[in-house]
Amino acid sequence: MASLTIGRYVPYNSFIHKMDPRAKLFALIVLMVAIFLPYPTYVMSFTIQGIIFLFGVFLLWRSHVSFFRVLKSLAALWIMVIFILIIYVLVPRTTNYPAFDINGFVIYWDSILEAARILLRLVLMIVLSMVLTSSTKPLDLTAALEWYLYPLKLIGFPSHIVAMIISLALRFIPTILDDVERIMKAQSSRGVDFENGHLGTKIKAIVSLIIPLFVSSFIRSDELANAMECRGYDPNAKRTRYRKLHFRAVDFVETFVVLAIFAGCLTLSIMQLDAYNAIWGITTL
Amino acid sequence: MKNILEVKNLSYTYQGENAEALHDLSFSVPAGSYVAIVGHNGSGKSTLAKIIAGLCSYKKGKVTLFGEELNKNNLPALRKRMGLVFQNPDNQFVGSSVRDDIAFGLENRQVPSEKMDGIILEYATKVSMEKYLDHAPENLSGGQKQRVAIAGVLAMKPELIIYDEATSMLDPVGKKDILDITFGLREENPDLSVISITHDIEEALRADYVIVLNKGKLVLEGKPSEVFTHADTLKEIHLDAPFLMSLIDSLRKEGMDVPSDVDSLEKLEEYLCQ
Repeated sequence: MASLTIGRYVPYNSFIHKMDPRAKLFALIVLMVAIFLPYPTYVMSFTIQGIIFLFGVFLLWRSHVSFFRVLKSLAALWIMVIFILIIYVLVPRTTNYPAFDINGFVIYWDSILEAARILLRLVLMIVLSMVLTSSTKPLDLTAALEWYLYPLKLIGFPSHIVAMIISLALRFIPTILDDVERIMKAQSSRGVDFENGHLGTKIKAIVSLIIPLFVSSFIRSDELANAMECRGYDPNAKRTRYRKLHFRAVDFVETFVVLAIFAGCLTLSIMQLDAYNAIWGITTL
Repeated sequence: MKNILEVKNLSYTYQGENAEALHDLSFSVPAGSYVAIVGHNGSGKSTLAKIIAGLCSYKKGKVTLFGEELNKNNLPALRKRMGLVFQNPDNQFVGSSVRDDIAFGLENRQVPSEKMDGIILEYATKVSMEKYLDHAPENLSGGQKQRVAIAGVLAMKPELIIYDEATSMLDPVGKKDILDITFGLREENPDLSVISITHDIEEALRADYVIVLNKGKLVLEGKPSEVFTHADTLKEIHLDAPFLMSLIDSLRKEGMDVPSDVDSLEKLEEYLCQ
């Protein structure tokens, strides 16, 4: 259960918390694209990723996300690290910059650098998404998503219904987690062992958890639907909004800053410009 | 007095079942009264609530709400005039905070968003939840969630509130809170009618009128002081008479002539001291 709380919203009064969720979502997507753009050399990639990383750290610091929590979620990446390293070391490379030679098995520099580039991308993705999720209420995020989906209404996509579904799902996560805990306790008291045993027994134990969970969730959804209907909810009717999003002047400035960073990255990527070579005449990998 | 709800010869059978959940039920609820519908499990009282709320469509009989016969066409309009509070506090909490939950009904009614904050505060105060406006449902007790549900219903200014076993999942303190709030509301607004479906006899004792159901049939109806003197009938259908009523019943069996207007311990004490 604890792992689910990693990206949880933490209330603070920072400028990032006050930023319009639409601007934040936009900034996240744009920065992610900037991270994934192809750059001419590894050193250029690392430089740009480094700049975005510093920016991310600044955001983390300003939005009061505890660095301990960030490290904890990054620690979950270790399986990926091993996986990526193995893949890239085994894949034969075209360039010839050997780093080590272990009894005739050559590991090339670009394997290591490529693995490092992918890893940095993952780390950056996690850091930036954590800034978003811990500084934005799930409900505001849903509202932002609904706003972006709004144009799809023209082709008949029910964006308001999707937004309602998402916000109900978010609302019921803690309730259903409580159910999980209760059912696990109930089944444990009847002799189901969720912790020990080999794979077969474990699967059986999980089934004894999942089926009651489904049953209770269906009962819940049925009652919820009744309650919503009685309170006058009609998915196709017009509704007013309690929470309105306000795009302020500050949001424009902040979006502009992010766009400026993105524009710089995009230019470097499209021109395939190796700044180190152009300015100092150094050729790098 | 005008009747807010009239049920005539209502029978209902669930799809795929042979036994009737409700059988030839007739009663009426005068405007501004507090009616308790009591019965043991399976007595059909929840079915009755679903039918009144338009969640089940009936075939036999007639249900008249606010003077109009209930049907599919006028259901949305009739629903605007009544509010339901269900049994499970979690499954009727729609918003992710108290504020948002009360706002949910207002959004459905297309109340302008500028007016919502005022309305939310007003009704949250009525159920003394004004300090918890930004709390998430998982940080509230069952009783508090039910209070929010009542605020959500009240914000729509209903003429009729139906409690479908609204207190049955609550602890005694939560139960008492809900009842006190409800009686307080009725003092404030005597036109508000309440139909409470319950198996809490002590609650039924405080009602204006009691209807006792068993296996889909109406067994007893009348003022609580009349209904609960039929201790034997109640015992037969697995309902306990309230302590006061059992006491009066035993006194009468012993040959004492307790008058029928005795409906509280104080009055009984007065009578016995004469």
